[in-house]
Amino acid sequence: MNFFKEINLGKLLILILFIIALGIPYVLRANQYQVLLATTVLLYGVMATSWNIVGGLAGQLDFAAFAYLGIGAYVSGTLFIRFNITPWFGMILGGLVASGFALLIGIPLFRFGIKEVWYALTTSALVEILKVAFNMWEKVGGPVERCLPYFSGSWQNMRFVSYAPFYYIMLAMLVMALIVNQKITNSKLGYYLKAIGEDETATEVLGVDNRASKLKALFYYSFLIGMTGGIYSCMYGYIHPSFFNGPESTKVAILGIVGGRGITYGPLLAALLLVGAQEFLRASLGGEFSGLYLLIYAVIMVIVVLFKPRGIATIFQDIYRKFVVREVKNKDVA
Amino acid sequence: MFVKNKGLNVNLTVKTLIYIFIGMMLLNVSAFSADLPGKIIVGCLEPLTGAHAVFGIEGKVGMEFAVKHINEAGGIKSLGGIPLELVIEDVGEDAMSARLATESIISKHKPVAVLGLYISRLTTVASEITEREKVIMVADALVDDITEVGRQYLFRPSPKASMQGRSAVEFVLQAAEKAGVKVEKIAILNEDSSFGRSNAIGAVQAALDNGLTIVYQKEYPYDITDASSIVHGIATAKADFVVHCPYFMDAIIFAQAFKELNLIPKYIAGMGACGYSDPESIEALGAVAEYYSNTCSYNPAKDTVQNRKFVEEYTAQVGHIPTEGAGMNYYGMWVLKEALELSGELYPENPLNPDNLRSAFLQLDLTSGPAVDTYPTNHISFDGKGDNPHARATILQVINGESKVVWPFAEAEAEFVFPRPDATY
Repeated sequence: MNFFKEINLGKLLILILFIIALGIPYVLRANQYQVLLATTVLLYGVMATSWNIVGGLAGQLDFAAFAYLGIGAYVSGTLFIRFNITPWFGMILGGLVASGFALLIGIPLFRFGIKEVWYALTTSALVEILKVAFNMWEKVGGPVERCLPYFSGSWQNMRFVSYAPFYYIMLAMLVMALIVNQKITNSKLGYYLKAIGEDETATEVLGVDNRASKLKALFYYSFLIGMTGGIYSCMYGYIHPSFFNGPESTKVAILGIVGGRGITYGPLLAALLLVGAQEFLRASLGGEFSGLYLLIYAVIMVIVVLFKPRGIATIFQDIYRKFVVREVKNKDVA
Repeated sequence: MFVKNKGLNVNLTVKTLIYIFIGMMLLNVSAFSADLPGKIIVGCLEPLTGAHAVFGIEGKVGMEFAVKHINEAGGIKSLGGIPLELVIEDVGEDAMSARLATESIISKHKPVAVLGLYISRLTTVASEITEREKVIMVADALVDDITEVGRQYLFRPSPKASMQGRSAVEFVLQAAEKAGVKVEKIAILNEDSSFGRSNAIGAVQAALDNGLTIVYQKEYPYDITDASSIVHGIATAKADFVVHCPYFMDAIIFAQAFKELNLIPKYIAGMGACGYSDPESIEALGAVAEYYSNTCSYNPAKDTVQNRKFVEEYTAQVGHIPTEGAGMNYYGMWVLKEALELSGELYPENPLNPDNLRSAFLQLDLTSGPAVDTYPTNHISFDGKGDNPHARATILQVINGESKVVWPFAEAEAEFVFPRPDATY
């Protein structure tokens, strides 16, 4: 009985949050900046939630998020620019190419047991290598910005004047990323990944195919981010090697870690709080006191890491357990 | 109560009508004055943090000085002396932060115009928003493509990148002619950004126009760590001179490679204003910086009252003469001021309407005044794309450890050194 009531409460909360999320562009419709900010928060939410599969569950410190985002953006953008192929198809293909590339890198990495700090360094280097490669690859633009065709409002071409449609597309991506995350977490693969994240050697001794599990995690993660890349190129209206962005990839990993590794909604929570806080600080202080907002942002991060090393999602987990679960138990006892 | 008020009180009615009339007049006056605000908001969108902050901060300071000087001179006179007010946002270093900053400044302050963003890809992103919102953008990014994508509300007074490449080649040819040195073979180098490439395109075109032979051309990654193979390649091709569009660190690496390998051609000219002749490069290179030159979209040595005032005040505050970023935004703000003045004269009923202001920009034909006094040439107007067809860069050469304007020869503050005294072939 308790179990069902808990589930219902959780579902109700998700439903309320989803309805609120659906209404945000309507409430903010007069202010394009705020809709863009909400869309940007969702973008990081999608990326950090996707990262959670490989970084949170499997414990692989991956710094290549913007490598896969860039590949997705280039595939979708180039198909659109050169062959007028709709970005809706381009983003799926972008996701597949990104995951194919991730597997190409992942197979030798996992085959030769590259892990921990070495895996982090390799993925970090991957972003820079791709940036240089795409700078030199003239057929897709080289160092020059390639602008996507302009449409004042076209669902078929995913080009809009307002940010509200991008918000809803990104919200759909987020729902997909959360569902994939949750499904994996509750599946056999999820248990394998969690075990790998805890102790890789022990898992292998128990007969788990570590390599296959990590490759599957890498596939899901890179596919979701590659698809997001297609939306990203349409939202920004061009493709450029600067999309392969090392510091932003690190930021995605930080959101995943600060949010709470392995907790499905943790990275999203971190994106909501930290990306929102960073932009608020930048918009308030960035013009008058150059760099001060970055300092304050860093201090916030340090405080979070010091006091909640398991992630900010644990605060909400504790509140939920303390009040909601206890309330349900008390009612059942009565 | 009702009985008392049943009859019509004539005095009260007349008084009430008078009050209502006066009230309506006042409302009307206030509605009229609402068309012309108390101050004209101008947005500063520059990278104030991150890799490009050094340029963005200089640009911001240039704008601040311009606004101060414009307001001291009586604001926008055709609009009754309305002063300008600068609002500032940091655009960071990527497309995401640039887009957020542009949306933020427009939604918060509703500026009449924005100036900035220095980096071409950030300008591409921001100009998509300013076009949508019909906000004038006075751009300081120099990549040619910025004005090639059909933007209606974007204007760029500064010389575009390809023009800088052309200026570098033309300077060398004119200097060689003056010095009686024959130059026929050119090597062209650029770092691998769209800016570097735009510069190189201008240099290639100028070389071909002047009958030069391009014996070596290379686009290299901006974070290059060893330039020796390229320097050897240039020497093997026996180039008479090199025109080079570097960033900052790569300029240092190249200058040191030329020196260490002792393979120095007759001249090495920078293009694009980054590296070689800026204060940071001179400090980093020391004596090696000697005789290098680079183009500049601003002429700090222009001998006009307005320019001297700017240079003196800037130097007193910052500690060195205005750099390109500061200069471009200083005269950029003055160009905006002139457009506002013209819009006030041509469209007094609605001077701040974006289409009227755009029309004023397109009708500008400045040959005197503070904007021209601080501009590299003496003519500012805009073509249909938003570029100034009369724009041209100046050349700064490092002579005795200081950066001096040496070209155009008529405005030079020092005699150029050509060929390099330390040339080895």
